[in-house]
This record gives sequence, structure tokens and C-alpha cells, in this order.
Amino acid sequence: MRNPIFFIIAAAVGASVFLIARLIGNDYLFFAGYTVLQFIVLATAWNILGGYCGYVNFGSAAFFAVGAYSTVALHKLGTNIDRYASEALAPLLKAAMPFSIPTLTIIAGIVAGLIGFGMGYLTLRLRGAFFAIATLALAVVLQTLIVNWDYVGGSRGAYIIRPQEVPIIGSYIQYLFLLMIALAVIALTAARVIERSRLGYGFATIRDDELAAEACGVPTLKLKLIATTISGGLMGMAGASFPYYIGYLEPSSAFGLAYAVNSIAMPMIGGTTMWAGPLIGALLLGIIQQVATVTISSAVNLLIVGLLLIGFVIMAPNGIVGMVRDFLRVAAPERVDLRAVKLLTIAGYCFLVGLGGVVFGLSAAMAAKNSALTSLGTFTIVLSMVYLAAAYGLLKIESWSPYLTKSVLAVSIPLSILFIWLDPSNFNVVALTISIVIDLIVIWLLQDREIKQLYQPITQRRAVS
Amino acid sequence: MDFPIELLINAIIAGILLGGFYAAVTAGISISFGILDIVNIAHPAFIILGAYIAYIVNQTFGFDPILTSIIVLPAFFALGAGIYQVYYNSFEKYGQDALRGLAFFFGLLFVTEVLLILVFGVDYRYVQADYIDKTIRLGFADLPLRMLVPCVISLLMIGALQLFLSRTFTGRAIMAVSQDQLALQLMAVDPIRIKTIAFGIAIATASMAGAFLIVIQPIEPSVGREFIGRVFAICVLGGLQSLPGTVIAAILLGIVESLTATFYGPSWAPAVAFGFLLLTLAFRPAGLLGR
Repeated sequence: MRNPIFFIIAAAVGASVFLIARLIGNDYLFFAGYTVLQFIVLATAWNILGGYCGYVNFGSAAFFAVGAYSTVALHKLGTNIDRYASEALAPLLKAAMPFSIPTLTIIAGIVAGLIGFGMGYLTLRLRGAFFAIATLALAVVLQTLIVNWDYVGGSRGAYIIRPQEVPIIGSYIQYLFLLMIALAVIALTAARVIERSRLGYGFATIRDDELAAEACGVPTLKLKLIATTISGGLMGMAGASFPYYIGYLEPSSAFGLAYAVNSIAMPMIGGTTMWAGPLIGALLLGIIQQVATVTISSAVNLLIVGLLLIGFVIMAPNGIVGMVRDFLRVAAPERVDLRAVKLLTIAGYCFLVGLGGVVFGLSAAMAAKNSALTSLGTFTIVLSMVYLAAAYGLLKIESWSPYLTKSVLAVSIPLSILFIWLDPSNFNVVALTISIVIDLIVIWLLQDREIKQLYQPITQRRAVS
Repeated sequence: MDFPIELLINAIIAGILLGGFYAAVTAGISISFGILDIVNIAHPAFIILGAYIAYIVNQTFGFDPILTSIIVLPAFFALGAGIYQVYYNSFEKYGQDALRGLAFFFGLLFVTEVLLILVFGVDYRYVQADYIDKTIRLGFADLPLRMLVPCVISLLMIGALQLFLSRTFTGRAIMAVSQDQLALQLMAVDPIRIKTIAFGIAIATASMAGAFLIVIQPIEPSVGREFIGRVFAICVLGGLQSLPGTVIAAILLGIVESLTATFYGPSWAPAVAFGFLLLTLAFRPAGLLGR
């Protein structure tokens, strides 16, 4: 697919997401969606340096906060122009201010990009680990500077009063949501363009073997500086509209560890070598976190992210994209056939059910007043783990996995019936009936001869063919 | 206005005492990052874990926190050895995949911190011991025991560690494993076993450092983050593999931080370590005692 076409498709998807969200018309959807989109931008930005070049940035929060605080600074400047600008400049500035959010986003991008460049210039000539540590350091230095900088509120924080309405679109949160969609589309397109350009191949050589690349004449330092600048700039842009979203910005929220860990975990879980990886990871983790924050607590959702990060890094080092790719290489080497699609869907279903089950089980176990509910929650968590193992086995083409999948599905059918009996609310009945139907269909699908053939132990598979 | 010379001397003494404590915090990193080349950014999380263990034992049995930390050393050693086995089998065995190893430790840091928050909440916790409130006065110089005791024990611990590394066979093998694994194998030593031991020792120091930390100041789960920059700044400044270098760098950083806190206000102190780190990385990446 050519890049302009990709951009048009991405923009169309973005536009339809916005229209669907408007049709549903729930304000919470926009608030939650904004956060997820913001993570898409952050994860994609992180991946340009971390995934393509192999340099880990722990300081995403710092770049994000630089973007947010550049908005705060300009906003303050806009409201008190007469105090800060000289008389000759004041009318000129007044005409330009207050800046619109797109302008602020671009300015934030430039500021954060410059910081990324300076950061890279200081540390990129050293081994990779030093860069990672220095980015951690950068976050704390910048946080200390902001805490001690009274103009933007210092440790007290700063209020940004956002207008209630904007022309054409209506409510302000929808406007912010739309801008974030646009930014996500731009970030994804940029990542894809880079991935398939000379620049991207240069990045890949750095990731694979920097010494060899250098010896072959790849200008590694220059490329790394380009990567840090783009990556930092995009992170800053993601933060630019944050003060308007949150309304009150204080250093510890802007520099929160959640941004750092999410922007690493999302690409790692999705897959780092392709633009789709951060997107998948951000959608998955972003939505889980929104659900977990509402149903359990924000501490537990960070725990889930941390555990998923560790789990994926150990079990599936190339993320979801890498696992699917490896699976297709074995199951459908020539072209993607129906069997592969079926199996991917089943594995995806098991994975999502497993993840959802972990979140649900945790919320039941933590909120439970009596021991029955706690043990039910614990049991759900264990069952969900089996689901995850089944999905893992299916993708890895382990011979035991069809049996495991079938048995775990068979166990969950009576469980679903039990739940319907326990809590016969409308939502429960519909959702659980659908899940029972899906379970039955999946068990039936797994009886397929072709699928059975794929999962035969390797020795037997040879004998058949 | 006269220059407050007494204040200056007191700040320097406080800095030296603080530095002694920082040396204990960094010793583990000097082994894991400096010698074994494992970027264990989760080290501060284990320090906090050690502090909480000291806290629990102190609260329930009234044991001295530092004594407790010495008793649980084997547990921390086992924890470190276990983590190294996971790290080795998942990452190191397959060659240099630094990206995933870093993410692994970052995840560990995060999970440990969140678990501690879930169990203990974000209230500040502190311990009781007879020496915590006492202060020795020498002329106008104050030597608070809550700083002096950790500093002295920390220096003793590092001295013992240095003796172990330079005098015993295992210690020398640890120093050698980073330089030439093959040569080590030729001497009939299993490099993986040596690395497991070394990483276990590195994590074991976190137990003691944690006890020092909770003696010095009340803690909550996220204070560990402040130490990430500090430990790496000290480790890099000290020249990565050298424990004496670590001690010197730690004391230097302690003094500078204490002076900053005294004359410019404590809110600037965290930036000092990181400024140190950035400057060292930019201008003298080999460290003070580096070759």
C-alpha cells in the first residue's frame, strides 16, 4: 500500500471513529477515548526510537510533560501579555494570542523535539544502557525545574480554564478528541512512512548491529539524533492539549510514572517492529486500563500493565504482531487461508476472554466482602490464566493446545450458566448466552480435520504428508 | 552578613554521612550494572522491599531494623539468584537483547512498587530503635546517630564486599566474568553460576540498604524512584566496576546534595544527582577512577 493511500484510509478510520462516538453521544466516551488516543500517540512515538532503533526511552513522561507545560506557559503568557511583553511587541502578540490548540501542539512538538535532540546529543555516543538511564534522569531534572518554576505554578500546579464551546463541533471535549484523532493518524502515518523509507532501514541496522552499521557507512549518530528528535517531538505533541483536557495540571500528574510505563509496555506488548504494534498495544492496554480504573482501582490497573509487560517480554518477545507473524509463517506459508483466519480468531478470542477474566476476577477478589466471592474471583483468575495459556499454545502451534482450548471452553459453559442463575440481569443473560454460543462454535471449529492436522506433533505430521 | 561557616561544616558532615548511605545503596548496582553489565533498574524497588521487611519485623517483634536486614540477607540472595536465572534463560542466553532486558527490569520495578502500594498504602512508615533520636555533639558539629550508624555499617559492609571480591576465588571469578568468560570456563568455573552468585549478592546488599533507608527517613513505596538516578549517577561517576570509586563518588554526591539542600532549599536536591549524571555521561563517561 502506498503511503498517501494509507494516510487516507487512516484518516477515514479516524473520522468514522469520531462520527460513531458522536452518534453514541456519551461524554464519558470522549474522555476515555481521548486517553486511549493519547496513548496511541505516545506508544507510536516511543516506538520510533525504541522499536526501530532499539534505544529505550524511560523518560516519555518528561517529553509529555514538556508539551503540557509549554501549553501552560503560553496560555499564561496569552492572558498576561501586557506584563511580560514590551510595548512594541504587545499588540503583535495580542493579535496572535491566545494560540489555538493546533498551534500549541506544533510549538510543543518543536520544544520537546529540541529537548530530545539535546538529550540524544549528550548521551547517544555511549552504550545504549546509558541513554536509557539518562532519560530517567532527564525526567527528574525536568520535574525539579518545573516544581521550582513559579511562573507555571510550581508544585501548586496550574489551572487552565477551557472554553465551554467551540464553533462547528460543539462541546470542547469533542474538539479535543477530534484533535487527538488527527494527531494519532499523523503519528501512525509518520511511523509507517519511516518504517518503509531509507531512514527506517537505517534505524533497523542500528537496532540489529550498530557497530556493523557504522562500519558499513551508516551515519548512526545522525540517524539516532533524527529518531530522538521525532520521537520526543511527537510525545510533546501528545501532551500539548493535556492541560485543556485535565483542567488542572500539577507536576506529579504530568510526570506520572504511568506515562513512562505505558509508552514502553504498549509497543512491547503489541510488537515493536511494525507501526501496527503500538496501535494494537495501546488499544488493548488503554481499554483495559479504562475498564480497570472504573471497576477496580488505578493502582491495580498499573499492576496489570506491569505484569503484562513482564509476561510478554519473557513469553512473546516480539509482541502480538510478532506472534501472529510467526504463526502465519508456519500455518499459512504461502497466503493467508481460511484455516489460519479461523485459528487466529479463536486465539484472539481466548486471549481477550483471558485478559477480561483477569480484570474481572481481580475486581471481584479485591472488592469482595465474603470469602465465597474472593474464592470465586481467584478461581476466575486461574481460569483466565488457562485461557491465556490456550491462546499462547494455539499461536505457538503446540500439540496440546487444541485439547486445552476445548477443555477450558467446556468448563466455562456450565460456569456461564451458573452466573446467569446467580445474577439474571439483562446484560448478564445476553452477554453470557453469546459467550456460550461462541464457546460451542469454537469447540465445533476445532474438530475440523485440517486444524487437527496442523496441531499434530511434528513427528506424526511428517508421516501424514 | 558573615558566611555561616558552622552551617557549612555541618552541611558537609551531613553530606559525608549521607554519602556513606548512598554507597550502600549503590554497591548492588556497581556489581550488577558495573561488573555483570545487567542494567538492573529495579534495584531501588528491592531496596524499598528490604525497608518494608525491616519495618514489618520491627513493628511486630521490635527487632533492630539493621539486624533484621542482616538476618534476611540469604532470602534476598535467593531472590536475586532466582531473578538472574529468569533473566538469563529469557534474555541473556539469546545474545544481546538489551531492549527486552531493560523492559523486564522496568516491569519488575513497577510491579514491586504497585504491590507495595496495594499492601501498605502510600502512608509514610518509620521504625523504632534506641539510636534513632540521639545525636553526638562535637563542638558545633552535629552527628545524628540515625545517620552515623547506617554510614558506619555501610562502609563496613562495602569493606567486607571489597575483601571478598579481591581476596577469595569466587570474588575474583566475579571480577573476571565481565572481562573474559571463556578464560573463566578454561579455569573450570561455570560463568553462569558465578553470575548467579554475583547477582544474588547485588540484591542482598539491597536488603541492608533498605534497612539503612528506613532508619534515616520514613518511607513510602514510591521513594525508590528518587534513587534510580542517584545510584546510576554514583555508579557511573565511580567508574562502574570499582567499589572504592563508588564510595568516593557517593560521598561526593552526598556532600553536593547536602550543600544544595542547605543553601538553596531541599526541592532542588533531586536535580543535583541527575545533573551530575548527565554531566558525567557527557564529559567523563569512564568515571572518576576509570581508566
